Amino acid sequence: MSQTETAAKKTAAKKTGAVKAKEDATVTTAPEAKKAVKPAAKKKSGLAFPFTAIVGQEEMKLSLILNIIDPRIGGVLVMGHRGTGKSTTVRALAEVLPLIERVEGDTYNRTLEQYLEAEDGKKGAKALDPNTIRIEKIPVPVVDLPLGATEDRVCGTIDIEQALTSGVKAFEPGLLAQANRGFLYIDEVNLLDDHLVDVLLDVAASGKNVVEREGISIRHPARFVLVGSGNPEEGELRPQLLDRFGLHARIITILDIAKRVDIVKRRREFDEDPDAFMKKYNREQQKLQKKIQQAKDLLPEVTMTDAVLTDIARLCMNLGIDGHRGELTITRTAYAHAAFRGETVVTMKHVKEIAGLCLRHRLRKDPLETLDAGEKIDRELAKVLGEAEAV
Amino acid sequence: MIAFTDIVGMDLAKQALMLLAVDSELGGVVIPSAVGSGKSTIARAFADILPKGTPFVELPLNVTEDRLIGGVDLEATLATGTRVVQHGVLSKANGGVLYVDSISLLDSSAVSHIMDAISRGEVLVEREGLSEVHPAKFMLVGTYDPTDGEVRMGLLDRIGIIVPFTAQNDYRARKKIVNIVLGTRDEEDTRDELKMLAGLIQAAREQLPHVSITSEQVQALIQTAISLGVEGNRVDIFTVRAAIASAALAQRSDVEEEDMKLAIKLVLIPRATRMPDREAAADDMPPQEEPPQEEEPEGEDEEAPADTPDADAEEEQKETPDMIEELMMDAIEMELPDNILNISLASKKKTTTGSRGEALNNRRGRFVRAQPGEMRTNKVALIPTLISAAPWQETRRRDSKMAGRSKTALLITKDDVKIKRFRDKSGTLFIFMVDASGSMALNRMRQAKGAVASLLQNAYVHRDQVALISFRGKQAQVLLPPSQSVDRAKRELDVLPTGGGTPLASALYLGWETAKQARTKGISQIMFVLITDGRGNIGLQATFDPNAEKIPKEDLEKEIEALSLSIQADGVASIVIDTQMNYLSRGEAPKLAQKLGGRYFYLPNAKAEQIVEAALSF
Repeated sequence: MSQTETAAKKTAAKKTGAVKAKEDATVTTAPEAKKAVKPAAKKKSGLAFPFTAIVGQEEMKLSLILNIIDPRIGGVLVMGHRGTGKSTTVRALAEVLPLIERVEGDTYNRTLEQYLEAEDGKKGAKALDPNTIRIEKIPVPVVDLPLGATEDRVCGTIDIEQALTSGVKAFEPGLLAQANRGFLYIDEVNLLDDHLVDVLLDVAASGKNVVEREGISIRHPARFVLVGSGNPEEGELRPQLLDRFGLHARIITILDIAKRVDIVKRRREFDEDPDAFMKKYNREQQKLQKKIQQAKDLLPEVTMTDAVLTDIARLCMNLGIDGHRGELTITRTAYAHAAFRGETVVTMKHVKEIAGLCLRHRLRKDPLETLDAGEKIDRELAKVLGEAEAV
Repeated sequence: MIAFTDIVGMDLAKQALMLLAVDSELGGVVIPSAVGSGKSTIARAFADILPKGTPFVELPLNVTEDRLIGGVDLEATLATGTRVVQHGVLSKANGGVLYVDSISLLDSSAVSHIMDAISRGEVLVEREGLSEVHPAKFMLVGTYDPTDGEVRMGLLDRIGIIVPFTAQNDYRARKKIVNIVLGTRDEEDTRDELKMLAGLIQAAREQLPHVSITSEQVQALIQTAISLGVEGNRVDIFTVRAAIASAALAQRSDVEEEDMKLAIKLVLIPRATRMPDREAAADDMPPQEEPPQEEEPEGEDEEAPADTPDADAEEEQKETPDMIEELMMDAIEMELPDNILNISLASKKKTTTGSRGEALNNRRGRFVRAQPGEMRTNKVALIPTLISAAPWQETRRRDSKMAGRSKTALLITKDDVKIKRFRDKSGTLFIFMVDASGSMALNRMRQAKGAVASLLQNAYVHRDQVALISFRGKQAQVLLPPSQSVDRAKRELDVLPTGGGTPLASALYLGWETAKQARTKGISQIMFVLITDGRGNIGLQATFDPNAEKIPKEDLEKEIEALSLSIQADGVASIVIDTQMNYLSRGEAPKLAQKLGGRYFYLPNAKAEQIVEAALSF
């Protein structure tokens, strides 16, 4: 009984929140006012383990960082042993993300330009004056997509309360809207239900979420970095979805005892006093955040010679990789990697360090192949490098 | 009601629960145990030793997704006209215990949600227009009978303690149990004992922050985890926590050897994937293919407790990390013959639990979408129903006023009702049974492996699963439990022993058991793919008793026939693939196919693709 009562209270509280947001929105945009604007920010739960305190698993950490530097890389799939800190690491990411600018209170996290483009053309609306629209800075959003999510919450649906009380068909944005320009994280991604995978594939390909249901028709931008994690022994990932991930990081049990002792120590310290622990790593967190921001700023200045590009193409060809997504991903990732190192010219050294991440999941799968994908890539890489040196 | 202190036997289970009561961060306790050993009694009695008012929520196996995670409260929402949230079972267990009996029978989507809740400490509700976060930090206590199947590894990984498998109690203990059940024990005694225990645990909780563990001890525990081939690093944290909790229970401020032994016994050994190797090779984990140890010589006291008296002599010396490691090894080796790898190898004797598999329910599975339908026989999808009713509210209100009826918040007619459509996993489980006896075995094994891999490559499309049973020597063996993973199949099928007798009956039996387990997990379509010449020569008895006598040929045939009929009656489809050259064949394989009501394929020198084709053509 009390359960439902408190729940009702909560809902009520939420509603007033929505109304308040609505009032705020009235200041700038008249047409927006009719829509229920839900606050995008979720209740923050407990402190996350700091990213910089995570021991080892460099491959995963690097992949995530490179995706912050250049979101066009296309996300990361982290697959590996149980209990190796996959989800801890992804959830720790939020704290080192840079800030982005968006139109204040915009559910889709749009920039001013995107906002004007989408809203200005609407029929019956007054022309918007860019000067009256307020801009705010928010951390890059990280949205968690739980396995049990239903399609309507992922894509968004009609706002039922409004529909019932005022008979207005208003759109209530879903998780895809919240994730725009941010990260969308799916733990146990290989267990995700098929119909949700279909939705994700559609949206990831077009960068737009199109909702045609219950008498509403809406499209909104939904560009996000897709991050998935899972244990390959629980099941395979659909190949189309696998292909969508830019990078594929592998994660295995750490066997180094000193490192493991360190993990236990840090974890215990964190559990005992999270605040003190966060403080201890505060400096490193800020340092990393700054380094990522610097790399982001440096990225436009990074260049790559044609010779390196040719080598990349040859590598992909020799490995028999279908399509061009392989080359594209390597190139982008190598740029980001160089920027993260603070360098402005991409060399084969950079390529070498990220080739495995980019290509591992793109090799044709032969069920009886015993050679590890990583080894195969290294072998071909060595060949290409040898050739390059010989020329 | 039987109290915690009244439970006889199951000492390790009791110890495990006490550790959990002291440190809830251990995540939970899983107790595998045979039927009637009192595992659920002890789990329910766990509430006795927890502080008063700690929630204790029992999760029914047939729980639906929205009851588990939470969702819209139908009645309250209709009454108020605004969305009212109902908390799910997971969040109701917040701050307390979530108990699951027969946890191995829980369907995989429920397991996924539990795993998710454990790793977050909360439940994200993103469904039916709701977006909420409910706290859900709980201790998970699960009990199960290993003959019902295994608990998913991903879930076990998030639970700190796994009690080593225990069979029945001895007769003295049983007698005491009977006395308690009959109520001959003094209630006052029980109350006092419980009070004492509760006090002990309270004191241990207070002691917990004051217990310290040395780096060398942590190192020794980790070394042990590595040499037992335990996967992942999370387990280290559990092991250390268990050792500390054990010390706290003894009111000590330092972790001692016995604490570490207990932690190893309860956290590490049940997860071992290999026998400890003194050279501690750090290579990849080998498949779980260790032959059982030689029988221990009789005469020695078998149930010697963890601390050996002879270890005391050495304790006087200064403990170097190496030495601790040695001691750990002693502890493990002593426990090994009884416990290692026991969870999956527990006695596979026939159970009388009946066929729960038939209870397949169309109202479970994933809620996919809503559609118009009858309210009585289906689950109502509330939000879509409300949506379809919304536009008509004003007109209906007008109408009902005119008709003089009382004013209600919402007017919903039959036409508005939308029901939930669920989708169950609808894939097929292919159970390969491969004859690994005789000279052509290697060939057959290779073909089967190829076929398994090739089926799995396409498994995601239909959500199919593949299992592989090989049979040779005295009995059949599940080499690959039902799986969708190419990686796992590759690893498990890497080493395949061949040669020996042909225990066909044992294979059919094991296949049937696997099929029944799969049914309880929602897989309805099952197909046997037998790759054999159909000539069995070992009786079923040999599966349970290696010393069973040979039985005459007629009896063998009767056995196979009976099994085949039962399998057929259970609705399992079969194909028999004969890969033997023609001049050797004496027609047994077609006969087997006939008995199973299946089809016979003659494919000498078959390629893996042909086998797959045959399996899919059916």
